[in-house]
Amino acid sequence: MKRRIIALTMVLSLLASGVMAATLPKLRVGYVPEPAHGLYFLAKEKGYFTEEGVDVELFQFGSSAEGLAAVKADKLDVGTFGTTAPILFITKGSEFTFIGGMMIGGQAIIAKPERLAELAGKDLKVYKGKKIGLVKLSTGDVIFKGALKKAGIDYKKDVNFIEFGTVNAVVEAVNKGAVDAGLVYPPHFSLAEKNHGLKVAHYIEEFYPDYTCCRIIAQTAKVNADPETYKKFLAALIRAYKFYKNNPEETVQIYAKALKIDADIIRSETYIKKVADSNPDPLKKGILDFWKHIKDAGYITQDYPLEKHINTTLYKEALDAVVKKNPKDKVYQDMLVFYKKNN
Amino acid sequence: MKLFNKFLALSTCAALLLSLISGTGMAASAKPVRLGYLDNPGSVLCQIAAAAGHFSEEGLQVELVAFADSASGLAALESGAIDVGAFAVGDSLRAIAAGKGFRLIAGGGTPLHGNPVAEQSNSFQVEEESRGVVVVIPQNWSVAEKGTIIQLTAALIRAYRTSRNFTAVASLPIGSRPDSTFRFDPNPDYWRVEKIWSGLGLQNLTMKRDFLANHIYEEIYCDALDRLLLGDIDPVLQHLFSKAICTPNCCPANAAKL
Repeated sequence: MKRRIIALTMVLSLLASGVMAATLPKLRVGYVPEPAHGLYFLAKEKGYFTEEGVDVELFQFGSSAEGLAAVKADKLDVGTFGTTAPILFITKGSEFTFIGGMMIGGQAIIAKPERLAELAGKDLKVYKGKKIGLVKLSTGDVIFKGALKKAGIDYKKDVNFIEFGTVNAVVEAVNKGAVDAGLVYPPHFSLAEKNHGLKVAHYIEEFYPDYTCCRIIAQTAKVNADPETYKKFLAALIRAYKFYKNNPEETVQIYAKALKIDADIIRSETYIKKVADSNPDPLKKGILDFWKHIKDAGYITQDYPLEKHINTTLYKEALDAVVKKNPKDKVYQDMLVFYKKNN
Repeated sequence: MKLFNKFLALSTCAALLLSLISGTGMAASAKPVRLGYLDNPGSVLCQIAAAAGHFSEEGLQVELVAFADSASGLAALESGAIDVGAFAVGDSLRAIAAGKGFRLIAGGGTPLHGNPVAEQSNSFQVEEESRGVVVVIPQNWSVAEKGTIIQLTAALIRAYRTSRNFTAVASLPIGSRPDSTFRFDPNPDYWRVEKIWSGLGLQNLTMKRDFLANHIYEEIYCDALDRLLLGDIDPVLQHLFSKAICTPNCCPANAAKL
């Protein structure tokens, strides 16, 4: 009898979740296959989206440009495609709004093992006079130049940057000795270590803490038309962040399954080396700093009031709602402190 | 006799099969792209691409059609008489502002006047820039033809590289050599065009803020440049790349391959 009741309960709850999902507001969410984008898979797998009242469908994209074009063409309701790409689209007239974040940090400088000694230490001056390979306008490019400027180094004069079209080309150039070091993002430095024996000389985080990487954007008109749905979406990601903080091994398995990336690489980057933080905070100050570095580097010379495209209210209200239900939770309290510092 | 009939039937089948195979192959590569150009030194990258064989290197058959003025060329582009056009920036932008739906895929040549006093004037600069040449496609190019547009743009980038090589230029027919009173740049360059667009007062209140961006297909130029950069390091291509503002990719296209 007891078994029958359990079975019936399971069937009913399954049916109920199916019916719930069918009636919930839908969000089509685009992402790129990057381990630090894993909060989406956690929120999906653990049922947080449904519990918060939003039916999320995930779509993987191979390039930021294609992903943002899909947001613009109304084929996606949310996109997570770096920081540079949405800034470029916004400055050229796209009506996007930053509503949250997905990744903080994550960029590294790789070199051949025999070059590590000369790049050792915590002083960016070791890179003066060096030839550095990078993917132009990648987060590593923009933030590393920002870090050099903050350290008082005139990178336009003292560092020789060689631009490549792809991160694989950067790794190849480092491996061949065509450049002294290369700026790469995850999981490429782990792959460069595994496949070519290259080494991480520095994580840019060592010089520039809490810098922005991939941000969450949506069409401004959609956010304004239905802020509650976007708030529910962010609440689910906030809960996923807590899961990611407290359940390393299950998180690694969920990421590995969803992204089809070696679990050892994900474990190493996410929990051992902690190269990035999958944090949903919008990081408004970080976005504005990033924009300033793009202009300082001379990539775009025209100014633009980017601030009006950043909405921190949705995230703060979502976080407040989650905190209200879990007032003593340490992770959520830490998120509040972090929010106040960075927005 | 029976044997002969069998041989004849077999030969006919083989011939039919061959003609079908070659016919298909021909159809895929033989459909020429009709490229209209303004008969002006600003369009010379198109002529270099033809004379130096860059269109062929990109697997394209291109038929060049000269136009005495941009207005008739843009009308031919709109009517479908040509597939692509290299015409004056100002006229092309005015056509776009009038709702023609053209998209810029590459830049071309812009006249240099060397008048330092006049060059200080913003309106003079806009005037000069608007007389330069850009390469435009009509609205009806389908997404399926994106590969062809990238090939076309890649051929124009190759032509630019040729134009920077004195030896290569010397071997070109005289009418296909770059004019020293023009500067060339195959980049469609949104920010440069936006200055001309604003300077000509073409943005009006009914247009969305991204109206112009929707008519500049920079992604094509970036894709073409990316593809050419896969070869040996080339200083001319590196220079073009350093000036281009392309949306960076932050992740592997196919994570499953990792």
